[in-house]
Amino acid sequence: MNFLKAAFLFAASALIAITPRGLMLAQSAAEQVGPVPAAREQGADSQMLLHPPADSWPGYHGDYSGRRHTSLTRITPQNVKNLTLAWAFQTDQLSAIKSSPLLVNGILYFTVPENIWAVDARSGHQIWHYTNPRSEGEHIGHRGVAMYDGYLFFLTPDAHLISLNAKDATVRWKIEVADATKGYWTSMAPLVVGNHVLIGVSGDFDNLSGYLRAIDPETGATQWQWNSTPPVGTPGQTTGGMTWMTGTYDPDLNLVYWGTGNPTPVLNGSTRPGDDLYTCTIVALNPDTGKLAWAFQVSPHDTHDWDAAETPVLVDGDFHGEPKKMLMQSSRNGYFFVLDRTNGKNLLTAPFGPVNWTLGIDEQGRPIPNPAKEPAPDGHLIAPDEGGMTNYRSPSFDTKNGLFIVDAHPSWSIYFAKPADGVYGWAGADYGVWGKGVIEAIDYQTGKIRWSHELGPQGSGAGVLTTDSGITFTGDAMGNFLALDSITGKTLWHAGSGSQIVSSPISYELDGQQYVLTSSGGVLFAWALP
Amino acid sequence: MNLLRSTLHWTAQLAALLLVSFVVAAAQTPTHTPPAPSRINKGTSAPASYPPALVQSGSALFRRDCSFCHGRDAGGGESGPDLTRSRLVTEDVGGNKIGPVVRNGRPDKGMPRFDFSDQEIAGLAAFIHTQLNNAGHAKIGGRKGVDASDLQTGNAEAGRQYFNGAGGCATCHSPDGDLAGIASRYQGLQLEERMLYPKHVKPKVTVTMTSGEIIIGTLDYLDEFTVGLIDPTGVYRSWRTSDVQYKVDPGLNAHVELFSKYTDADIHNLMAYLQTLRQAPGSAPAP
Repeated sequence: MNFLKAAFLFAASALIAITPRGLMLAQSAAEQVGPVPAAREQGADSQMLLHPPADSWPGYHGDYSGRRHTSLTRITPQNVKNLTLAWAFQTDQLSAIKSSPLLVNGILYFTVPENIWAVDARSGHQIWHYTNPRSEGEHIGHRGVAMYDGYLFFLTPDAHLISLNAKDATVRWKIEVADATKGYWTSMAPLVVGNHVLIGVSGDFDNLSGYLRAIDPETGATQWQWNSTPPVGTPGQTTGGMTWMTGTYDPDLNLVYWGTGNPTPVLNGSTRPGDDLYTCTIVALNPDTGKLAWAFQVSPHDTHDWDAAETPVLVDGDFHGEPKKMLMQSSRNGYFFVLDRTNGKNLLTAPFGPVNWTLGIDEQGRPIPNPAKEPAPDGHLIAPDEGGMTNYRSPSFDTKNGLFIVDAHPSWSIYFAKPADGVYGWAGADYGVWGKGVIEAIDYQTGKIRWSHELGPQGSGAGVLTTDSGITFTGDAMGNFLALDSITGKTLWHAGSGSQIVSSPISYELDGQQYVLTSSGGVLFAWALP
Repeated sequence: MNLLRSTLHWTAQLAALLLVSFVVAAAQTPTHTPPAPSRINKGTSAPASYPPALVQSGSALFRRDCSFCHGRDAGGGESGPDLTRSRLVTEDVGGNKIGPVVRNGRPDKGMPRFDFSDQEIAGLAAFIHTQLNNAGHAKIGGRKGVDASDLQTGNAEAGRQYFNGAGGCATCHSPDGDLAGIASRYQGLQLEERMLYPKHVKPKVTVTMTSGEIIIGTLDYLDEFTVGLIDPTGVYRSWRTSDVQYKVDPGLNAHVELFSKYTDADIHNLMAYLQTLRQAPGSAPAP
């Protein structure tokens, strides 16, 4: 422990000495009156979250936009063929890494259920490893931690939020955020906006209300809660609308954007006639009050488990000749949406693979579900499958080429539901029949697919990162990490990883070296030029 | 420990019983049988009695680590098969089949491995076998199953016409050839899934080397960079895709092309037709 502490102090002081931001931090600390809270040296303050420096990745999406696009250009389409392994970190766990690491002050923080690691981003050596006592609740995956002013925020399978000191993983507080005995669990990476830690909940196998909650980072006290569905037991009303993925934030409009989950009962909509608001919906909320600014429902009356939890990507740019503040989502239901994020009005709705469950698009831009394609006692053939045309893996918006790049999953499945399946929880059954993975580069102004790159049978769980230099990093269905040319989709580099890839890449620059971080199975890989 | 020992002892007896039951089942004589292989047989099954504490421990473990994919009641989900209708489960005795799958995972199908102790495997197996017996009950919350009786809404004659006509099935398949007795080998959902897309069929691949040498084998691995096959002598061989030319037999693509053409009635009719392709009583089982 002494050794660890000494090593840590050494690392921290080295950082302050050599990085410009370290100097800045040291200066601002010196300007403060009285003793400086030691935790602040660990960073991830509001300024860093608003304007992440090149040597950081302080939130799940990196910055608040959800674009997962880096301005770093040292790795280029020309030299990426030389990319080599800088280091690998073995978690020695059986759970696959689904999290996006955070990088703050040279230290990476990443997770699998019940576990957090702090790892030196230069060498890959472990600084500490926190293990939560194995709890009840779903252990399906974990997306990562959030950080604010030197403290980490970590959700557990039994729906508790733990705040830990990023220096040494000592627990500051631990609170319950949902009742795991009712069927809730938590797996998402919280989003820090101002002094709010925003957390969402999961739970598809019971009829439960979804909600988003703002929590005080210092005390763990609830600041506000926004419920996506009415209280359980409200006659004729839906439950569900889980909030299990990290949202995005526009500081100028002061709105957070969040995708909500599917309604419950999942495959049987008979007890919840109508649209089932606010399930399968993109919502805009004021982060200080939790007040709803607008809502756009991407799947009215869903009966296929296609939540709208996928990243709401924020892009400023031209749309059909007009400058727009846009929000884009490649949704699990198979449609790509472009919205005006100031008011939620639809700009574009276009399928990005085979879909057969709609009667068309309504005047608001929402797909109209075809009642004949609801699950049936003798089965209905549906595209896409339950996993959806895409899922939690991150897409990327390539600001350089104006392309929305997503790991898509064209797929077909059969959906069943019969009265004997009841109206609680899943309330039916569905089976994937066939699927494949394909990276699609979507022209956001038309929805047309500019290029596509096949990833193999069944599909890939890898997310996408794009770079200003013109590279698309992702992975295929067989576990190869891939670097593609962002203009043509052609492969520039690859490395077999030995396991399935179910996470999204990040990139950062340290000591003048650009790193790309990917993971597969329980191993984190750092790639750099020689 | 005593609990485990008594379970192991008990499962040894079950093994003997199971062996008997397969013979009995083949003879189609109603009799006392241990855990029924599916809901279809529930009328004749006698519930197996596992120690409640063991089932309880297995249930907790299952809920935590397995239920997301296999359903809370083991009834299956989109990414994990229905274990109450799994042949492997029906053949399992006290975890002897389930254990290795759990501990090794099925990386090719996306199932992770779990480092469970013998006791944990015994608990899981007890829970899963108990679910097998409970499969007729409406279980709260979890994903549900499909019975063969749900899949009888089609018209066999219309299905036969689709098979020989619009579906184009007869191009590759024949009711007297590869599909003879198919409904005796596969029933219900399993038959329908195979009909829509036979996931486990590995296509033939022809690899042509720069020397001109041609090797035809069963495709074993393919990505952008490597093609691997099992050659006719059973040996695995692979090449860089940049060094050879290869051609995968496109037969399976016909299944994919049908997805966007099928009506749901076509599928139900085709299913009805395939279910008529039963083995004649007394004839030798198909290979």
